[in-house]
Amino acid sequence: MLTRRTLLAFGLAAPWFPVRAATGFGGVTEDEFLLGTSAAFSGPSRGLGIELYRGATAYFEHVNRAGGIGRRRIRQRIYDDGYQPDPAVKNSTTLMLDDDVFLLFGYVGTPTVTRVLPLLKKFQDREINLFFPFTGAAPQRERPYGDFAFNLRASYGQETAGLVDNFVAVGRRRIAVFYQADAYGRSGWAGVRKALARHGERIVGEATYRRGTQFTSVMRDQVNILKAANPEAVICIGSYAACAAFARDAVDLGLNVPFANLSFVGSENMLKLLSEGRDDAERYTSLLVNSQVVPSYEDVSIPAVREYRDFMARYNPAVPAELVTEDYTPFPHSFVSLEGFLDAKLMVEILRRLGDNPSRMGLEEAVFTIRDFDLGIGERVSFGPDRRQGLQGVYYTVVDQGRFVTLDDWGGRFANVGA
Amino acid sequence: MKEQEVPDIKVKKLFRKTTFGVFMLFGVIGLSTSILNVYTVDTHLSEEYISNSKGIAKTIADASVDILLNRDLAALQSLIDQFLEIQGIRYIYIANESGEFIAHTFVPGIPEEILHSDPLSTETVQRQLPGLGDFVEVGSPILAGVAGTVHVGMDRGLIALKIQRAIGQQMWLFVVVGAIGVVAAIWLVNLAAKPMARLMVYAVALARNDEPANPELLDRDDEVGQLARLFRHFANQKSPGAS
Repeated sequence: MLTRRTLLAFGLAAPWFPVRAATGFGGVTEDEFLLGTSAAFSGPSRGLGIELYRGATAYFEHVNRAGGIGRRRIRQRIYDDGYQPDPAVKNSTTLMLDDDVFLLFGYVGTPTVTRVLPLLKKFQDREINLFFPFTGAAPQRERPYGDFAFNLRASYGQETAGLVDNFVAVGRRRIAVFYQADAYGRSGWAGVRKALARHGERIVGEATYRRGTQFTSVMRDQVNILKAANPEAVICIGSYAACAAFARDAVDLGLNVPFANLSFVGSENMLKLLSEGRDDAERYTSLLVNSQVVPSYEDVSIPAVREYRDFMARYNPAVPAELVTEDYTPFPHSFVSLEGFLDAKLMVEILRRLGDNPSRMGLEEAVFTIRDFDLGIGERVSFGPDRRQGLQGVYYTVVDQGRFVTLDDWGGRFANVGA
Repeated sequence: MKEQEVPDIKVKKLFRKTTFGVFMLFGVIGLSTSILNVYTVDTHLSEEYISNSKGIAKTIADASVDILLNRDLAALQSLIDQFLEIQGIRYIYIANESGEFIAHTFVPGIPEEILHSDPLSTETVQRQLPGLGDFVEVGSPILAGVAGTVHVGMDRGLIALKIQRAIGQQMWLFVVVGAIGVVAAIWLVNLAAKPMARLMVYAVALARNDEPANPELLDRDDEVGQLARLFRHFANQKSPGAS
């Protein structure tokens, strides 16, 4: 006998049945795509997760307000992993098995992503792919896990190679590495090692720090280790808090050489830490050279940058209140949020190409139709079975008058540094 | 009838001697057991830790082959970071076939002593690393050594603490059992001594031709009762008029 409750439950579920039956897969209904995210919204690297989310959400919000993709709005299910591997694995399991998301999107960090990748293989029958993680590490770019992930940004190998090549070109061949003692740090370390080997050089010194290190930490030991190696440049592979602490202590202890940082560092957060409340901030910031995987958000001659600035101003996305556990003041614009914005823009294009009956099974095919796609940043994006990274460009920036600007003249910038 | 006092000097002597004997016995057992325990636990636990460490080093070495040949060093680092979560393991490092340190877990850097050691040797060594502590380091070759070596450092301080705790627990158990044994021995001696003291009072009264104050001894069906009846019998034979 049908009770009122059963009838009510059936009534609520009824609209879902035809959709499920039509698509046969989870994560998509007649009116929404559900994307799953696990990223750092707490801890010393929360700025990365928050900024990436804000940039992506600005674009998704615009698409949703314009009617979505074929009437389907984009909804994000978000969890905080604090940039720690175990919570990232737990969150991803929940997203894949319980929340039944359409795909994973906007993950942050190498130590987290490298631990999540085996999950994608384990549950490969669900056809869930990871899209555009905020990491340039190799594991999600190569087999056996590369088949389950798509990357937009350039790799750490490309970033470190560019930094090494430019330093060597201006005569700075003695390069040391300061890195996070985990998979991210090792990935960058390996990139520097490989790039130096091409020039017949080796890493002259290395020092490490633990993931989660705060700006208030003292880096005296690390600075002394590297000072003993007498480097002409230091490439830092870390988070903004640790790298800023290192740059501060290095300058204070007399290690005056260029400090290069990868895109993952979160340049604006690093600059803020080194500048806030200091009259002599230039002492520290003038030595920074940060590689980026997106062009400068100050360059409004770039169409995507104009669009990004417009959407960020218009929607000013905020992180859901339940994920806010620590203070954080977002930046109006940042390299990280611009990357999130471009990730979302390409994601929307891929979802659009799925057609009227989207399913996870059609995702890979839809991605491979992206050929010479114009994201609006100058560089065209292409994907294919052997090309799972969309962009290759690396940009170099330095601090000038309290903001990051494009570096064009390496020789001129660092001619007298450490002389 | 006048209450007769129990002359317990002799019984006390017996009691003291028995108690002393029990203490001595437990002391000798305790001391010898402790020495044996310390030696056994120390040896076995140390061997077990080293054996486990070697197992871990071998597991990493086996898992590293595929990563070294087919994948990148971030995956290798991710692998060793997971093993670092095992209690007691304080550091892991991997050297390639030319002795270069290609992955490690040291912060703020690789210690000088390890930098100057032979990373291709897989001998078990004891290390004192300034600022880090004392370690037992075991090694395992990767692909029979042609692809490098894995080294795992176990915290000797933690091993020593575990050993001390294990010994402490055994000693605590022994003390508890010993204390219960001594109390039980005292109680048993006391249990045996009291009827003997009463019997003595009874016998002394008979010898003095007094009426014993504790005739209930005659009703006992144990050795004390039998002796009491025997004493009574002898006393009756000695003085037939007595009741």
